[in-house]
Amino acid sequence: MIFVTFYWKPDPYFCSVFSGAKASEEMDLKAERKLKIKVMKRGSEKIELMAPAGNFESLQAALDNGADSVYFGVEQLNMRARASINFTIDDLLEIVTKCEKKNVRTYLTLNTIIYDHDLSLIKVVMAKAKEAGITAVIASDQAVIASARSMEVAVHISTQLNITNVETVKFYSLFAETMVLSRELSLRQVKKITDQIEKEQIKGPSGELVKVEIFGHGALCMAVSGKCYLSLHSNNSSANRGACKQNCRKKYTVVDQESGFEIEIDNEYMMSPKDLCTINFLDEVLEAGVQVLKIEGRGRAPEYVATVTKAYREAIDSWYEGTYTEDKLEGWMERLSTVYNRGFWSGYYLGQKLGEWSKTSGSQATQKKVYVGKGVHYFPKAGIAEFKIEAYNIKKGDKILVTGPSTGAQELVIEEMLVNDLAAEAAKKGDNCTIKLPFRVRMSDKLYKLVEA
Amino acid sequence: MVVITLQRKKCIGCNYCVELAPGQFRMSKKDGKSVLLKAVDKKGFHTLKSSDHGILETSEAAAKACPVNIISVKLK
Repeated sequence: MIFVTFYWKPDPYFCSVFSGAKASEEMDLKAERKLKIKVMKRGSEKIELMAPAGNFESLQAALDNGADSVYFGVEQLNMRARASINFTIDDLLEIVTKCEKKNVRTYLTLNTIIYDHDLSLIKVVMAKAKEAGITAVIASDQAVIASARSMEVAVHISTQLNITNVETVKFYSLFAETMVLSRELSLRQVKKITDQIEKEQIKGPSGELVKVEIFGHGALCMAVSGKCYLSLHSNNSSANRGACKQNCRKKYTVVDQESGFEIEIDNEYMMSPKDLCTINFLDEVLEAGVQVLKIEGRGRAPEYVATVTKAYREAIDSWYEGTYTEDKLEGWMERLSTVYNRGFWSGYYLGQKLGEWSKTSGSQATQKKVYVGKGVHYFPKAGIAEFKIEAYNIKKGDKILVTGPSTGAQELVIEEMLVNDLAAEAAKKGDNCTIKLPFRVRMSDKLYKLVEA
Repeated sequence: MVVITLQRKKCIGCNYCVELAPGQFRMSKKDGKSVLLKAVDKKGFHTLKSSDHGILETSEAAAKACPVNIISVKLK
C-alpha cells in the first residue's frame, strides 16, 4: 500500500522508497520542519494589534481587551484635533505608565500638516513624549520626522503620507521603523511590499527590518489617505488639521439645472464609504506579511474600543492557535455589529469593485446605550457596586455597561440587585441600587443600559 | 465698543483668524494656538474691548471663519 502511494508521487525521496518506513519518517520530518519554519516565521512575531485611545475610558478599554499597543493624540496637532477627544501634554506620563504596566506600546500621533507656528509646539511635545517614554511618534510632515529623529524618538510613518510602493518604503526607512501603508492598496500589493522588504533587507534606523502596518477596522474616507478638501471648503475646517466635519457622511441631491428636477443618487450616501472590516479575511491579512493591525476610532466610545479590540484579539489569537473558524467568525461579526458602524466592507484590500457606500445615515449598530446613572461606591470585600439611578429604569436580566477613566468599558448582565438595601427586580429613577460586580466602580463611572437599536 | 472674545484653549491652530484679522490675532510660537492681542484672560476667555470700530469687519470675518467657533465679536 505504502509502496503504491509513493510510486505515484514524483518525489526526490522515491529512490529511498524501498527502505519503506524510514523514508516516510524522513518525509514526515521534512514536512514537519517546513511547517515549523512557516509557523515560526509567522509566530516569532505575532501581529501587533493597535487600538485607538481618545480618552482615558477608551485607553482602559483597549488595555483591558488585549491591545498590544495604543495610539493617541495630545493637543491639536493630530488628526482628531478637537479638544473633546484629546489628551493634553500633561497626560502623557499617566498614559505611558498605565500602558507599561501591561506591557503595551504607546504611539503618539503628530500627523497633521504643520505650519511654521506649530514648530515650537512640536519640539515641546516631542521632548515631553521622550521624557514620558512613549514608544514612537506617528508622523507625516517632514518637520515632525526630522524633529523626532534629532531627539532620537522612534518614528512611524502615518497613512497620511500615502505609501504605495517599496521605493517609498525604502526612502522613509532612513527615518522610520514602521510604515502605515495607504488604505487604498490591495493585499496583493501589500504582500509585494512586505516580500520586497524582506528580500532587500530594508531596515529602519534601529537596524530592524521595517514593519508594515495597515488599517484593520473602522471608518474609511472617500478621499485618498484622508487628503480631503471638502470640510475645509464648506466650513474652513481642515481635515488635514484634524478638524474634519464629515461632509461625506451626509446625503446629497443632484439637481438638473435646466428643469430643476432633483434626484437622490441611487438612494445611497455616495460619498460615505461603509466601515472597513478585515476580521473575516484576517488570514489573508496575516499572509500578506502585515505586522501591525490598526483599529481606527479615536473619536469612538469606549465600548466601541472594548468590543472591537476584543474581537480582533480573539481572532488573531485563534489564527495563531489554528482555531480561526467560520463559527467563531459569526460570533465576532455579530459582536462588531453591536457597536457603531456604517455597515461593513473589505475596503480595497481584496481588490474587488470600488466603493461600497452606506445606505443610511449614521450608525447601523444593533445595540445602543442609554444613560442610567452614576457610580456612588464600591465595597471591595463583597464585590458590590452602588449606583445612583438618575435617568432610565433597569431590571434584572438587563445588559449593562459601566464606563469610566479607570474602569474602561465593562459589560455584563444583571443577575441580582438590591434597591435601597432590599432585594428587588428593578430600580427606577432616584433609587440607590447595588449590584454584584467583578470590578471596582468609581464615582466618575457612568452606568448605561444596552438596548437593541 | 467692540468686544472680541477668544477661547484659546480650544484653538486648533488653523491660522484663519490671523489671515483675516492680522491686526487682532497672532499665532503663538509657544503653543501654536491663536493669541488675541491686548486681550485680558479671565478663566480661559480672552477678551479685548476696543473703541476702534475699524476692527469690527475683519474680526467678524475671523469669527465666521473659525472652524471651532471659539471667537465671538459683539458690539456693545
